[in-house]
Amino acid sequence: MRRRLLAIIRKEFIHILRDFRSLMIILLMPILMIVLYGYGITLDMRNIPFAVIDDSNTPESRALVRAFSDNGFFLLVPERITREDVQRVFSRRSAGMVLVIPADFAPSLSTAAVTRVQVLVDASDSNVGTFIGTYSTQVLRLFNQRRGAAPPALITLEPRILYNPDMKSAYFFVPGLIALLLILISALLTSITITREKESGTMEQILVSPIHPVEIIIGKVLPYVTIGFAIGALILVFAQLIFDVPMRGSLPLLSLMSTLYIFVSLSFGLLISTVSKTQMDAMFRTVMATILPTFMLSGFLFPIASMPLPLQAVSQALPATYFLVIIRGIMLKGTGLAELWPQAAILAGIGVFILAVSIRRFRMRLD
Amino acid sequence: MTPEFAVSARELRRNFGAFTAVDGISFDVRHGEIFGFLGANGAGKTTAIRMLCGLLPPTSGSATVAGYDIGRQVHQVKGAIGYMSQRFSLYDDISVGENIEFYGGVYGLSRAAIAAKSKSLLADLGLSDQRHLLTKSLPLGWKQRLALGTALLHEPSIIFLDEPTGGVDPISRRRFWRIIYELAEKGTTVFVTTHYMDEAEYCNRISIMHQGAIVALGSPTALKQEYGLGTVQDVFVHLITGTTDR
Amino acid sequence: MQQILYLVQKEFRQIFRDRFMVGFLFIVPIIQIFVLGNAVTTNVVNVKVVMHDADRTPMSRDLIGRFTHSRYFRVVAVEDDYTALTRILDRGDASLALVIPRHFQRDAVNRDRPAVQLLVDALDGNSSGIALGYVSEIVQRYQADAVLRDPALAAPMAGTHRAELEPRYWYNPELESKVYIIPGIMAILLVIVTIFLTSMGIVREKEIGTLEQLMVTPIRSYQLIVGKIIPFAALGFVEMILVMGFVYLIFGIGITGSIPLLFAEAMLFIFTTLGLGILISTIAETQQQALFIGWFFMIFAMLLSGFFIPIANMPPSIQAITYANPVRYFLIVLREIYLKGTGLSDLIPETLSMAVISLTVFTAAVLRFRSTLR
Repeated sequence: MRRRLLAIIRKEFIHILRDFRSLMIILLMPILMIVLYGYGITLDMRNIPFAVIDDSNTPESRALVRAFSDNGFFLLVPERITREDVQRVFSRRSAGMVLVIPADFAPSLSTAAVTRVQVLVDASDSNVGTFIGTYSTQVLRLFNQRRGAAPPALITLEPRILYNPDMKSAYFFVPGLIALLLILISALLTSITITREKESGTMEQILVSPIHPVEIIIGKVLPYVTIGFAIGALILVFAQLIFDVPMRGSLPLLSLMSTLYIFVSLSFGLLISTVSKTQMDAMFRTVMATILPTFMLSGFLFPIASMPLPLQAVSQALPATYFLVIIRGIMLKGTGLAELWPQAAILAGIGVFILAVSIRRFRMRLD
Repeated sequence: MTPEFAVSARELRRNFGAFTAVDGISFDVRHGEIFGFLGANGAGKTTAIRMLCGLLPPTSGSATVAGYDIGRQVHQVKGAIGYMSQRFSLYDDISVGENIEFYGGVYGLSRAAIAAKSKSLLADLGLSDQRHLLTKSLPLGWKQRLALGTALLHEPSIIFLDEPTGGVDPISRRRFWRIIYELAEKGTTVFVTTHYMDEAEYCNRISIMHQGAIVALGSPTALKQEYGLGTVQDVFVHLITGTTDR
Repeated sequence: MQQILYLVQKEFRQIFRDRFMVGFLFIVPIIQIFVLGNAVTTNVVNVKVVMHDADRTPMSRDLIGRFTHSRYFRVVAVEDDYTALTRILDRGDASLALVIPRHFQRDAVNRDRPAVQLLVDALDGNSSGIALGYVSEIVQRYQADAVLRDPALAAPMAGTHRAELEPRYWYNPELESKVYIIPGIMAILLVIVTIFLTSMGIVREKEIGTLEQLMVTPIRSYQLIVGKIIPFAALGFVEMILVMGFVYLIFGIGITGSIPLLFAEAMLFIFTTLGLGILISTIAETQQQALFIGWFFMIFAMLLSGFFIPIANMPPSIQAITYANPVRYFLIVLREIYLKGTGLSDLIPETLSMAVISLTVFTAAVLRFRSTLR
């Protein structure tokens, strides 16, 4: 039994190494992502160009313009424009925001309780639009404060930033990347390899030998698990050395949970291989069924809570959703099984279910 | 003006890096002849045929096919020849009739000509009722004859066949060779590579290639007499193992 | 010319006979638009908050009520045990905890500025930053209202004059991220259809040997290339029109600018991606390799296009690479025409860049393709 298993495992390793180019291409993507996201890339903006329509042209209005241009958020473009020019300015993208100061700004500021200042925002990029709105509000608050007109602070807000005090993107990103990579390697490579054997007819060759189907599956899958593990570990070390991503919880627990997750992903790959006829087919199905949803719906990049309910329901069916909670919990929050057992249980449940279905289907094919 | 020979090669050579696949071969093929190209796998047959069809430029040497120079007149060469390889090269995912239509169109035949040719080809093959069938559902032997038919749509004066009968059952092979004979009778030159020695016996003349060079050339009968052996197979084995031992 | 027509006809026959392919071409984009349009959002809503109210006065309840009624937050629990809060955050059941101290109302009225503690799960730095912004907005408004309601609190405010902001968000008044993201998805879809179908289509012909068969026919290599390009360019266009109609029906996003201009720019872009497809086909030996290389190109182009990350925020060396990325320019062009109605005169740098890239890629592709043919 053991010798046969070893034979399959060795053969599989040879396959993997021979097709190293494909493997490298799969791996280059995460590496690029780590470089991009890991290096503290935020969606934050600086030096947003803005133009001014100053109908007031008084010391007060100039002070307001200075308040906008002096804080690093905004950069004044030296362009005289009128209201009619705004559309053109936005089309040319020479400014992302136009500050409109009314003619009666100065007198109103000293007599009226509230003086309104218009801010026209090019919100075609919603993200930039949001930032411009937030920054403008902050600028105006400062402007009022300096003039002694700030609304009284009734309460003090004391934020305590937990787990990620510097709000580094790498903290969020690295555990997610491990989750993505593990499913990529486990599900995709498993489904493709098994389908390849089917396509080339070598599966039949193996099946006529006295090997038990379970042995075949274990033998085919073990090398990928090993590779997945090695890569996951590599990312962990890399993340710790370069981005200081901590490992606050128990490493053995994380390994155990990763094994569970890999097992679920492999079962997925196995299931897909039972319904696919060609490698291409397997590839498309795996990408559609596991990788894209994991990328978009598991909370890897985009918050699940912000999605509409049907998509939230889909995300609840993804193993990665639970594994992300687990890995982020262990690595960044230092939580243990006491807090994470529900996720672990669901993950195990999904795995057992899928494995049962795929072994059943695998058997049926053999009969 | 018809050229003297259908195919004429002079010192044709092709290197891939340091490896010499075809080592300066020279030969002539007469019009209407069935010319067999024999050799073990890797002897250089396919490289030679690819050069003659204009798929691969020679490193040195020259050749004319149907009177056209394979270096300078590739386009004319391609218009004058038909080619069929062991892979049959039909589109599996379109129908039998559509394959014929496509290749006819690619060779620049008119719609009317395509329709007429298609009808007679399908009738010859006994596939008239199956013209709407996807090509992949045809048995191998049929596919192979269909491929030959499509390669002949434009009535080339020379047809190159690169191991056309690989993997086909004996009955189909015999049928295939019957078509080849008919072609030759109508004056088409047939240039065929094979490693089935029984097929070699059907050729007017054969050349045996080994390690990029032609080691023997002549009619099967002449070669058997020269080496005093009973079959082409014996001649072949004698030549190949003999040269290796040396 | 006639030969090209036969090539195009054959290509269409192959595509439409393959049911999987037809599904892939026409159903997948619709699903993708729907899922991506809704999932890939930088808007942060429904942030889960847990409240701890040690005061239990009208004022503290008012503050909590403002979170309950905000669409940005979802109050998952009001927890009486302060020590349980961190556990709730640890478990991930909430990502914010708001702690209202004892004597909150009394201290506020006495102008002692009671400290409201906010525990923030900052794993997702971006989202939590945005959520913090929402909190401070709510608190500001809360204070302003409290002052209005209670003249005693307003005393120190009397006689001051404030300037107030009146923002107008052009092109996207609700600041919905899907308005921004959907044109981007169109670009991705075009890339998928053109790069993958072209490269895999050609490599498949290599694999089964039909390419070799075509090469011994008197067909010219330019005819072969044109015959491959026309069907996939046409499919790309059909796909784009389909997606545009769908986007209008489902998301109500229509084209503001000139449709002919949009199509002309799309043509330029499709030329580039088709060129890439051909280039890939000359490198790849098998369809699987073509798929991997195509995938790699696509991910690379997407990440470096400004779609997910603003280009201005990338390290300078990586920013330099993005100048060679056609998707970068096409995204700008698409959005400008789609959302803002920008005309060609304001899109000249982008158009020229795309033209240069397109020409380079295409020339390289054709040269390589021709050399592999001979």
